[in-house]
Amino acid sequence: MNTVFDFNGASGSGWSQPDSNFQNPDAVPDSLRRKRLPGWPRASEPELVRHYTLLSQKTFGIDTGFYPLGSCTMKHNPRVNERIVQLPGIDRIHPLQDSSQVQGLLAIYYEMQEMLAICSGMDAVTLQPVAGAQGEFTAIRCIQEYHRSRGDDHRDKVIVPDSAHGTNPASASMCGYQIIEIPSASDGRLDIDALRAAVGDDTAAMMITNPSTMGLFETNIAEASQIVHEAGGQMYYDGANFNAIIGKTDPGRMGFDAVHYNLHKTFSQPHGGGGPGSGPIGVKGHLSEFLPTPIASRRESQEGEPNGVGDGFYYFWQDVGDNSIGKVQQWNGNAGAVVRAWAFYRRYGRDLERMSEHAVLNSNYLRHKIMNPEPDVASKINCMPSEGSEASLVMHEFTLSMSPVKEINGVTGKDVAKRLLDYGYMSPTLYFPQIVPECLMIEPTETESKEVLDKFAADFHAVLSEDPEILTTAPHTTPVKRVDEVWAARNLILRHPGNDED
Amino acid sequence: MVDQIPNLGRESEMLSEIGLKSMSDLFSNIPEGVRREDSLPLPPPQSEEQILEDARRLLGANVDLDSRPSFLSAGLARNFVPTMVPMLATRGEFLTSYTPYQPEVSQGMLQAMWEFQTMVSELVGLPISNVSMYDASTAAAEAITCAVRVKSKKATNPNSVFVSGLVPPHRLSVIRNYTQGVGIELHILPHNDDGSLDMEMVSSAAGSSAVYVEQPNSLGILDEGLIGLKEIIGDSTALIVGVDAVSLGLVQPPGHWGADIVVGEGQPFGIGPTGGGPIYGIFACTKEFLRLMPGRIVGQSIDTEGKTAYTLTLSTREQHIRRHRATSNICSNETLIALMGAMHMSLLGPEGLEKLATRISSATYAVMEAVTNIPGVDLVNPGGAFFREFAIRLPGPAKEALSSMDAAGVLGGFDLGNWWEDMSDCLLIGCDEGITESDISSLVDALGAWSGGVK
Repeated sequence: MNTVFDFNGASGSGWSQPDSNFQNPDAVPDSLRRKRLPGWPRASEPELVRHYTLLSQKTFGIDTGFYPLGSCTMKHNPRVNERIVQLPGIDRIHPLQDSSQVQGLLAIYYEMQEMLAICSGMDAVTLQPVAGAQGEFTAIRCIQEYHRSRGDDHRDKVIVPDSAHGTNPASASMCGYQIIEIPSASDGRLDIDALRAAVGDDTAAMMITNPSTMGLFETNIAEASQIVHEAGGQMYYDGANFNAIIGKTDPGRMGFDAVHYNLHKTFSQPHGGGGPGSGPIGVKGHLSEFLPTPIASRRESQEGEPNGVGDGFYYFWQDVGDNSIGKVQQWNGNAGAVVRAWAFYRRYGRDLERMSEHAVLNSNYLRHKIMNPEPDVASKINCMPSEGSEASLVMHEFTLSMSPVKEINGVTGKDVAKRLLDYGYMSPTLYFPQIVPECLMIEPTETESKEVLDKFAADFHAVLSEDPEILTTAPHTTPVKRVDEVWAARNLILRHPGNDED
Repeated sequence: MVDQIPNLGRESEMLSEIGLKSMSDLFSNIPEGVRREDSLPLPPPQSEEQILEDARRLLGANVDLDSRPSFLSAGLARNFVPTMVPMLATRGEFLTSYTPYQPEVSQGMLQAMWEFQTMVSELVGLPISNVSMYDASTAAAEAITCAVRVKSKKATNPNSVFVSGLVPPHRLSVIRNYTQGVGIELHILPHNDDGSLDMEMVSSAAGSSAVYVEQPNSLGILDEGLIGLKEIIGDSTALIVGVDAVSLGLVQPPGHWGADIVVGEGQPFGIGPTGGGPIYGIFACTKEFLRLMPGRIVGQSIDTEGKTAYTLTLSTREQHIRRHRATSNICSNETLIALMGAMHMSLLGPEGLEKLATRISSATYAVMEAVTNIPGVDLVNPGGAFFREFAIRLPGPAKEALSSMDAAGVLGGFDLGNWWEDMSDCLLIGCDEGITESDISSLVDALGAWSGGVK
């Protein structure tokens, strides 16, 4: 069976529906009536269950093996979270139901808003943005309206380091800002002099993640905040790397005015092949009037009022007011993702700090294991990578440069990445950040055991010891061999051509 | 005690190997001035059993749509999702994978998304589909910015975009947020009293970069006039149409009457209303928009042995490569929900889709006939054709009607005064495939009892 379109059984659909409860009104005017039904497959449930099961077996997930994809925080997704979101109290809830009918969901929203504010040192949180990039966009929109409200319309530039995620400049650009990219210092950290030279009375904001995409804590972050603030700009914290710092520091202490959180990274909403995510934002008090509307709020229950969740409070959707930027998602965000993240948070409570500690421990441990092979192993390695940064300590992730390997035997970062697939691993993030040549970016997360890390380091060394040709032609054991991406872009076969009868 | 960290208790062993003494040594790069010294003021960790119990208690306090006769839709469907869909889509391989940057170990998800693209393309009658947007509103908003990128060179008013006045305010707000920064000027197209688009005013949109309309519109009206829209605005203006995806089992797809981009809410295929998310937006277009469209796209390819394979393609449009010149900032999208959509569509098949749409259409008219028989209750747009939704005018405030019906155990619809102040005596009634005779009786009794008591 090649594709789902090869199922074209003779007699109708695979899923039996009851007959309509009512007479067919034949209501669609002739001019609007569909002439030919879409060329969808005709398949029975048993055929489709097998089809999708086979497809799943050709898909690599965290459940399949170690997934050290830097910057994506591919940690274990606790299964009870999936059970919870199947409960009718979330699956069968409409976002426009009256607050009185969704007290439990509102209570969870409220608890999450409070928890995220505490962990980040912010004053107000909205859960409406549905992805990290949308969180960035939302926060920059709030900052934009803040400047406008003060007559500071002329501020038209947003500063980002050259190691920033691509979403940062893309999100600011969608708000209409010009991007000023500043180069990193030689140690991979923020170049404070370059920042000083870049700010001015046209600075609207700086967007930065800390720890950086190099896995390094920006030690001069407070000074950076001061420089930007003195120029009249706002500081935006990209929370992609929040997994590294919970309970150890927070963006509020570092001087940030706004932050987004990736509930699908730090709080384990499953990534699902590319989404869904959830990208709430938190802001300091002076930005809160610009947040998207509504946010969850509560007041003490009044006498005679039904006490929804039994904690003495009545929860409700609070309109943010006239200065709100309005809506960025049409409803109240990815409620299902928020509920999963809530269940994850409850698993840790105040021990979220342990989570960050172990994320950083695993990262430093794996980096050490990779860069310090035992002598008998080292003697077999053709060439070692260099560290993306020479810093003695990293945070939750680290970078390696395959440049030395490429120079000696022509093996690229991509070749190493493809060969790791043969060993049963997902590849690290490849060629990002772009400031590290032939970059592999590795983030083990806190949910991997020491044994997995030891084995990965040993297998990494084994890859580096192999005949370069094995690497340049890898992978060898996957469902397909190396895929020709240029062919795809040249031929652009973006859908099934359709079956003959169509 | 946290049960999710395999290396708890092994810290000193691991630390000593890297030459450190304590866990706090790992964070010595955090300067004192920004370091957090106290513990997080949060409750202690819970076990799985305790979390499940709390979840049941909290979520159990919500009124779920299946627990009573429900007529609330307003752009989201109280659908029935076949059991296979969540069961298969939450297989760990799908659930815990990420964006398929390594196609060799992601063939399954890539193929499923390529099949999804094909089914969406077939559904709406356009050749290209991406693998999802966040929802119908961001799909509409990014369709507009995409259309302006493509059409602004030919259009005489390149920064002008015309939007139907019946686009609901929450969607219009999303559109405004996405378009304000890039200098797009939004103009509102008026509607006639019967809810159809005022076609005489449409000619003013010729020369702009894009026109955005919805079919059915937010009042459930299927507008025959829209068929002639493309002819009026011409080739230099993009026609963007938002759809109720299920309606296309009965209704001609916009790709067949000149739409350049079709967007819409994918949710009725694949997932319950889920409190408003995660859901997914559909985005399909003609070839003209391909290289400047938002979102991920899967293409067929070959591997080094010439075997058919799938891979992400045209990635140079995207933020991780193009940065501030990207066609969108979208990174995490809604792939898993789109996968659920693909599964649901595959199960339905063409005839199943037609049957589903017919069931919804039949329910819509049965409910309409019943409620408009209540004295004092009138259809807002008589004479029109409807799908899934219709608006009624009441003898008093809709808010009060809803509250009275709520007390009688009926979720009676949506108060249109929340969207448009001059419609605060109007109720938007949503109908789905699950509506029964008994649901209709309950609605009629509850609404009739309230309207009978209105002075």
